Amino acid sequence: MKHDFIDKYSNLDSFIHRLDPRTKFLTSLALTIAVVLTPAGNWKVFLCYFLILAVLILFSRLPLLYVMKRSLVIIPFVLMVAIFIPFFKQGQIAVSYNSGLFQLSITYDGILILTGILIKSWLCILSLVLLTSCTKLADMLEGLKQLGVPHVFILILSFMYRYIFVLADQAMRMQQARDSRNFGGNYWHKFKIIGNMIGTLFIRSYERGERVYVAMLARGYNGEVSAIRKLHYAPADAYFSLLLFILLLCPPLLWW
Amino acid sequence: MHIPDGFIDVPVAVTTFVVTVGAIACAVKTTNHNLGEKQVPMMGVLAAFIFAAQMLNFPVVGGTSGHFLGAALAAILLGPWTAVLIMSSVLVVQCLVFQDGGLLALGANILNMGIISVFVSYYIYKGIYTLLKGNKAARLIGAGIGAWFSVVASATACAIEIAISGTSPWEIAIPAMTGIHIFVGIGESLITVAVLSLVLVTRPDLLELQVA
Repeated sequence: MKHDFIDKYSNLDSFIHRLDPRTKFLTSLALTIAVVLTPAGNWKVFLCYFLILAVLILFSRLPLLYVMKRSLVIIPFVLMVAIFIPFFKQGQIAVSYNSGLFQLSITYDGILILTGILIKSWLCILSLVLLTSCTKLADMLEGLKQLGVPHVFILILSFMYRYIFVLADQAMRMQQARDSRNFGGNYWHKFKIIGNMIGTLFIRSYERGERVYVAMLARGYNGEVSAIRKLHYAPADAYFSLLLFILLLCPPLLWW
Repeated sequence: MHIPDGFIDVPVAVTTFVVTVGAIACAVKTTNHNLGEKQVPMMGVLAAFIFAAQMLNFPVVGGTSGHFLGAALAAILLGPWTAVLIMSSVLVVQCLVFQDGGLLALGANILNMGIISVFVSYYIYKGIYTLLKGNKAARLIGAGIGAWFSVVASATACAIEIAISGTSPWEIAIPAMTGIHIFVGIGESLITVAVLSLVLVTRPDLLELQVA
């Protein structure tokens, strides 16, 4: 199995890694909300939030290159939705180009909105990368359960997490087998092959699910799962949350 | 079409989150009633299946590639409420492990890809199936059309949320999102039909669980 892309750095040890998952989840959410609520144009506020994140990322000992790479995940969406905004937004014109047939103009308002969105979504993705790279999913799920997510849903998620590795492996093997048999031909043929792959994967997964369930029944499963994992909310968590909330509130109070 | 944070504003995020929580609570209740909490391992494995199936890329026009969404397939094979739970699980893991889709935008993402897509495709499938008096061809036609609409509907919902947030004007958001996904939807529809016909040949008993 080669799935080091899943949960890659959650085993590191740092101050951030040791925080309670609930603390990390709630402070991340608070940071995201603070960033989203800040209107575009308040560059000083964004700079402060960036500095807070940068300090936290440095503390977490995550490789910086990895954090940067992960943060690029927003690019496709930006390209699809945001990139045209400067051309369409009404307002004072910054650059204009007339080709005779049509008029292309970029407005200051449009540029402002686009930069605002780019900065906001980049700051938020940094915070999400930090949260998810510093927390093991099992801990996170336990934290979410404490925060009130339904028990059944948490159980499904933890089973899913266990079998992602197995099924992703199966899917990758199928893809390799397909590619080594010179996958080509016309469009219809390609879709039929992918359909057959996914269908086979479905039937195998379904039968695997049945086997897992029967095996669990044989071991006394009655719909209840008890976890040994216990979360510990330490004083450090309270101090950290308090400090972060104050730091988040300061910039808007100073510059709005 | 996972919306990252920063594209929708807080009121939209909160509204979609509340709707999503309601739908998931309802799904938990309904599946508990129909299947029992004992089906949990099965649903976990099937959520992992959807996740793995989404890793298989297919070519779209011009060298770009798309991937399978799976909401329609899950809805047709397992029923809408189970599908809602499975798709939500997939989206939660994609957010919390792969940073696909934002934390604050999670409610909106689940609403678009895990709830709207599931119900749109399920009712179109079921409508066509009963209209054509339920033979094999009716299933496949219904699944194909349902799958196409599932993708287009969730892309449109996504565009509407972005436009309401004031991030992108309506005249850009709707054509950009819906326009691209009209083509992506064709791929989704072809694959869903192919998967369903394979399942109908090899394990037709699995489908009897649903439209009985």
